Amino acid sequence: MITTPDLIDSLAQSMTPVRRLRPPLVRAGCWLMLAAIILGLLAVSQGIRPDLLQRLPQSGFAIGISASLLTGIGAAIAAFMVSLPDRSHLWLLLPAPALFVWLSAIGYQCLTRWISFEPSGVELGETARCFATLVLTGLPLSLAMLVMLRYAAPLRPTATVLTGSLAVAAITATALSLFHQLDATVMILIWNLGTAVMFIGLSGAFHRKIFSWVTPRSMPHRQS
Amino acid sequence: MPSGRHSRLPPLTLIKDDHQGGAGQAHSVRELDWSILMARAQDGDRAAYRRLLEGITPFLRSLAARRHRDLSDAEDAVQDVLLTLHAIRHTYDPARPFGPWLVAIANHRLIDLLRRQGRLRSRETALMPEHETFSADQANLYERVLDRRNLQEAVEKLPAGQRQAIRLLKLEEKSLKEAAAISGMSIASLKVATHRALKRLRKTLAKGGAPR
Repeated sequence: MITTPDLIDSLAQSMTPVRRLRPPLVRAGCWLMLAAIILGLLAVSQGIRPDLLQRLPQSGFAIGISASLLTGIGAAIAAFMVSLPDRSHLWLLLPAPALFVWLSAIGYQCLTRWISFEPSGVELGETARCFATLVLTGLPLSLAMLVMLRYAAPLRPTATVLTGSLAVAAITATALSLFHQLDATVMILIWNLGTAVMFIGLSGAFHRKIFSWVTPRSMPHRQS
Repeated sequence: MPSGRHSRLPPLTLIKDDHQGGAGQAHSVRELDWSILMARAQDGDRAAYRRLLEGITPFLRSLAARRHRDLSDAEDAVQDVLLTLHAIRHTYDPARPFGPWLVAIANHRLIDLLRRQGRLRSRETALMPEHETFSADQANLYERVLDRRNLQEAVEKLPAGQRQAIRLLKLEEKSLKEAAAISGMSIASLKVATHRALKRLRKTLAKGGAPR
């Protein structure tokens, strides 16, 4: 095994100047800006759902969509905070209230319209278009988040990846409810909870592998 | 802490009469020192970086010693922390104190190492004398003795002609001619007897042990 003074020597030798990370709030803002740009582009190419103006005044819909948006913003800030070593892990609680409201809104919709758990509640044509939106929003946002959070890899990988993917999932769910007529209860449930569970499940299962693709290149290999 | 750092402190410690306050101030000065060194290292100053790493190593050792009893484990942990610090040195913001940043990294890595060791220990079994085995003949004496006795018993149970054929040809390794001369049997009948005896021995030994 290499001795500690030798290690210090080799680290000092291999040291290169680095650019300091910007404050976490600024970085979260950049990521959210990217999300806004993607949503804007999608709105131009796919078009907003036709009945959005009629739906917005309805309290259930408005609460659901704003809660998912707030969850996304809160989770993004939490992810960037938690990725730094000296910030409190209490930041993890930031998206919790909005997440609670969002899930309750979905649950309330299910409860009040539980009767539409029937075949007509699922429309296949809409599913394909929903999937396109899901990929077009989720993929670039996930990749951007992953690259921006790579310095968290040796510290709190699980917490960071979970909040990061919650942010992606919430923004994607917001996009889905903006662009698609998901009035059938089962569809809302599948697309909102499904995306969240999918992103969080995938990241929970693969977080170490995912981070190993983007971990800092400057990490010297240990000789033992 | 290296003694060299103390020598730069006296102007500050002399002002304070209270020993406790002096120590606190020394502590914060040391941290400020590290913070400046780290900021210069981020800009590419290798000498500052080396001084910083050498300065924090004793502090890291004391942190590691609290969690690891084994000295080599503790040293391993210190190196792990140094490597991590090197990999994520971008994340230090010179506007914030250096101490909490360093301690947070150290704690994460120390706990990770403990977890890793815990996992390893739960899967590994210590090598005990009874797990050992050798390829040398002497090591497997017991089984060989057992086999030999089984074979002898099986040979004893053979009919007289077959027994004699086996003993002369196989155990004493005589030629067919010598065996024929000793036993008074023809070569052909010796061959037949050996063949039958071997068949019978194979059968009894395969059943496990001598015939009762």
